[in-house]
Amino acid sequence: MGTKILTVEDDERIRLAVTLALEEEGWDVIEADSGERALETFASSPADVVLIDIMLPGIDGFEVCRSIRRGSDVPIIMVTARADTHDVVAGLEAGADDYLTKPFAPKELSARIRAMLRRARSTEPGDLERIKVGELEISADEGMVLKNGTELHLTKTEFKLLVELASQPGKVFSREVLLERVWGYDYFGDGRLVDVHVRRLRTKVEDDPASPRYVVTSRGLGYKLQP
Amino acid sequence: MGKQPWLRGHRIWRGRRVWQSLLARVTLTYAIGALLLSSIMAGASFVLAQNQLLADREGQHLEQVIFNAKDIRERLEALTPETAAEEVGTFYENAFKGLPHPNGSQSIVLLPDGDTKSLSLTRPDIPAPIVGKIRAGTQVAEQRYEKADRSISYMVGVRLDDVPFYDGDGIIYYETVSLAELESTLGSLRVILAGVAVISSLAGAMLGYYSARRALAPVGRISGAAMAIAGGDLTTKLDLQADRDLSILSDAFNNMVDAVATRIEREERFTSDVSHELRSPLMTLAASVEVLERRKESLPDVAQQAVDLLSQDLHRFQRLVEDLLEVSRLEAGAVKLQLSRFKLAEFLENVIAQTKSAYVEISFSGRDANSSITADKRRLAQVMTNLIENAEKYGNGPSGVSFEVIGDKVRIIVEDDGPGVPASQRERIFERFRRMGAGNRASGTGFGLGLSLVAEHARLHGGSVWVTDRTDGRHGAQFVVQLPLGEHVDVVEEMAT
Repeated sequence: MGTKILTVEDDERIRLAVTLALEEEGWDVIEADSGERALETFASSPADVVLIDIMLPGIDGFEVCRSIRRGSDVPIIMVTARADTHDVVAGLEAGADDYLTKPFAPKELSARIRAMLRRARSTEPGDLERIKVGELEISADEGMVLKNGTELHLTKTEFKLLVELASQPGKVFSREVLLERVWGYDYFGDGRLVDVHVRRLRTKVEDDPASPRYVVTSRGLGYKLQP
Repeated sequence: MGKQPWLRGHRIWRGRRVWQSLLARVTLTYAIGALLLSSIMAGASFVLAQNQLLADREGQHLEQVIFNAKDIRERLEALTPETAAEEVGTFYENAFKGLPHPNGSQSIVLLPDGDTKSLSLTRPDIPAPIVGKIRAGTQVAEQRYEKADRSISYMVGVRLDDVPFYDGDGIIYYETVSLAELESTLGSLRVILAGVAVISSLAGAMLGYYSARRALAPVGRISGAAMAIAGGDLTTKLDLQADRDLSILSDAFNNMVDAVATRIEREERFTSDVSHELRSPLMTLAASVEVLERRKESLPDVAQQAVDLLSQDLHRFQRLVEDLLEVSRLEAGAVKLQLSRFKLAEFLENVIAQTKSAYVEISFSGRDANSSITADKRRLAQVMTNLIENAEKYGNGPSGVSFEVIGDKVRIIVEDDGPGVPASQRERIFERFRRMGAGNRASGTGFGLGLSLVAEHARLHGGSVWVTDRTDGRHGAQFVVQLPLGEHVDVVEEMAT
């Protein structure tokens, strides 16, 4: 059984063409032509990656994203019309892991999917050592974060981001580096991906996300995990 | 960031001479008005006060003189024809001494023989007109006159008829009083009134200034609102409802803003509609062509060539659509910059790495190696890509890319080995749909939008772009993009343009 991709797109022709191209790339594709249908489909047979067009009739892409996010940490990619609209940030805040603008090359989408499915890297392969930072306990191999012994529910991307920062506590990571290591982007990735994910991560790991203790901003340089 | 042409106009307005400003003119008008009014009032007050004071003093003196004249007349009864001449002299001396002389008045008697009797005055001290009036038959005459020392005096003359001592002839009793003291009072009054006039004109000027400022205050608010709107904040509203006269203006202004906002919104919606309409078929095409490309090997040769053509022109078409949409966003003022801070050297290396052009060296001084800029990375990358592609198309490829930090600005320079740009074309090549020379349509993606977008994006970043000959003496053009380095930002910030 291959990797299942749920594509939510109301335009039949696009859906068909994207499905063809994704299947050519070797993915299994499940189609949904509306937000409602997407949620039903996802409930009955969860996909490995979800691709959601924001502009949907009925419940829109943001709502679909939020609904899925309530019960799952599945990687979600949003499809937006423009990169410089608020849609991108709104989509990321609704829980999306990444976004693409139409028209995108299915090859690029495949690259994004592969990047999302890549496991969070651990410092050494097979290394079961846990990283401890303050009250946080991060286990890259088990894919788990504990705070005071309680497990935190992070999405896959949030987890990868945290593990990346935790690989060298105290070291400042620039947006470009994080985009490359967590999302698999080249230098020209969208820095807002990092900013919004850091924000999301803070709401989960910090006692007070407004004045973070762990994931701190290094002025003009990037982010670091405060040891 | 956008330097609107009317802002420059505003500066010209401020540069005009002071009296050309409404505020100065209103102030001046009030000052002149106040000066005129207060001068008239002061003048009138002075004349009235002068007349009143003189009339009081003269009336008092007149009564005094008539009283004294009666006294003299009664005393004259004591003189008999037998009285000796010396005794007459003593008589007058005693009489004058016995009379009340308030305010330092002085008496003189003109005898029928033309001789005079006085303690201090002589005949020439009696002004001729009053003598004339008495001679003409007036019983009591008065005269205000100027003395030799130019001080003003007032003299009253009373004819005393039928004096037995002078055989029934009459004598004339004159008494004069100096008005000099009154003069000095009036002088002080004049000074005070002039001062009052000056003060009230100053007060008028101040009143004018403040009322003009108050009246003009809405103008400041209107211009503030207009500036906010020019800056892109179309939610700006003018609230002058408190003033009934100005509410008409603020209503009209707000309606205008609403109309402009509606138009921009409509254009934005149009852009996004068109964008959506164009993107959907492009999406289908892109996905389908990719499937074809993957299966190219199994296609006949002719079909393979067709797929290649299709694929290439699809990319070209996508670029064109992106550029046109960017242009319409720029037109609508709907571009939002995503500002982040990044290192210039690293940025340029990555830009060059992603262009298909041959390796181009980036040069910069060691001092600038760690220089960072705050800009929209994606759009700045497009600027650089467009310049490098331009160099490839028209300049035999880029021969060098460099940057130099000058103060709070950076100059990024792209040089080529081409024929250069003639001076007459140096402005025009940054206009839309302009291209240098014939250009090779088939191989390029250029529709004459590339350099215009470079110029627009540089402008949105508060910078500029220009082209010159190469400065190292070789043939070729040198495109210079000058941008402000900007301030630190911690997260990617959105900025409306």
